[in-house]
Amino acid sequence: MDAALKIWIVIGVVGLLNYLSRLSFIAVFARRRMPSLLARALKYVPAAMLTALIVPMITAEPSATHALAGHPKVFAAALAGVVAFFTRSNLATLGTGMAALWALQAIG
Amino acid sequence: MRRLLVSSDFRAGFAEMLPACVGLIPFGVVCGVGAAAAGASWAAALGMSAIIFSGAAQVLAGQLVAAGAPLAVIVLTCFVLGLRFLMYSAAMAPYLKSLPSRWQQALAFLLTDQAFAAAVRRFSVNDDPRRGALHFLGCGVALWVCWQATNLIGYFAGNLIPESWSLEFAVPLCFLALVAPLLRDAPTILAAVVAAGAVVLLGALPMNLNLIAAGIAGIIAGTCADLTRERWTRR
Repeated sequence: MDAALKIWIVIGVVGLLNYLSRLSFIAVFARRRMPSLLARALKYVPAAMLTALIVPMITAEPSATHALAGHPKVFAAALAGVVAFFTRSNLATLGTGMAALWALQAIG
Repeated sequence: MRRLLVSSDFRAGFAEMLPACVGLIPFGVVCGVGAAAAGASWAAALGMSAIIFSGAAQVLAGQLVAAGAPLAVIVLTCFVLGLRFLMYSAAMAPYLKSLPSRWQQALAFLLTDQAFAAAVRRFSVNDDPRRGALHFLGCGVALWVCWQATNLIGYFAGNLIPESWSLEFAVPLCFLALVAPLLRDAPTILAAVVAAGAVVLLGALPMNLNLIAAGIAGIIAGTCADLTRERWTRR
């Protein structure tokens, strides 16, 4: 398949599915109550899916020469995770994580 | 339009999102870089940020396209990731049910992780639906505009950013800011741990199928733990 066409199909289909998910209970199923099993399962979508995305991003490309077991991103992310847990702040999490990574890379 | 812009609720929502917008700058830039790396034209990059309007889905789609994954895998993985919007939609529905359907359709488009968190805070102190809708619109417009700008900057100027900055690390950090605060009960922690273990163990699967498999495994683990816990507490 043509690469440009494939990207536009992804934009169209994923965009539509995202919009329908966003619209679902606000408009389409507004008069229905969500089935309880579905409501229960959906509670775990962010924790499961986002964690599945985070882990490969921070464990990839380890540097064997690094002092901290070659995984500066894992340590920086763990620290940022603690900050996120207590502050719930995107900015504080970002600041801590980037500063920790830069510090580890500087000493590594 | 003019009435909208002078509405204090709209402006309050817009202003409330500005710190979040600052935090999203590196994320948006990385998304733009990712779109360029996946071989998207500038129009397609803008289409991704303007229409998909979800950083996580854009990063994921960009990665999968660049890895040559089939269309069905890309769509399915992004769909499971987007299922969280069903939950946000259901949580917002009671506050928006008295609004005209045009408003509902517009606000639904702007429903993102950050706007949802702001709306929950807002409706917990003031549940007037019209004023809340204007506030939500202000939040959504601020995020949408900031998102398009940062994505385009990343697409066109991303190669100017030194690699030593490790800007791509901003993406897992933004996800962590969403996930870590959720880890306050056993089923959610289990969902995250199972997903983390599965994504590593299944790393050898082709076409990045480990992402969706790990996500589904985590969702099932969390749901089962939740059901078990309820049965225990009923006894």
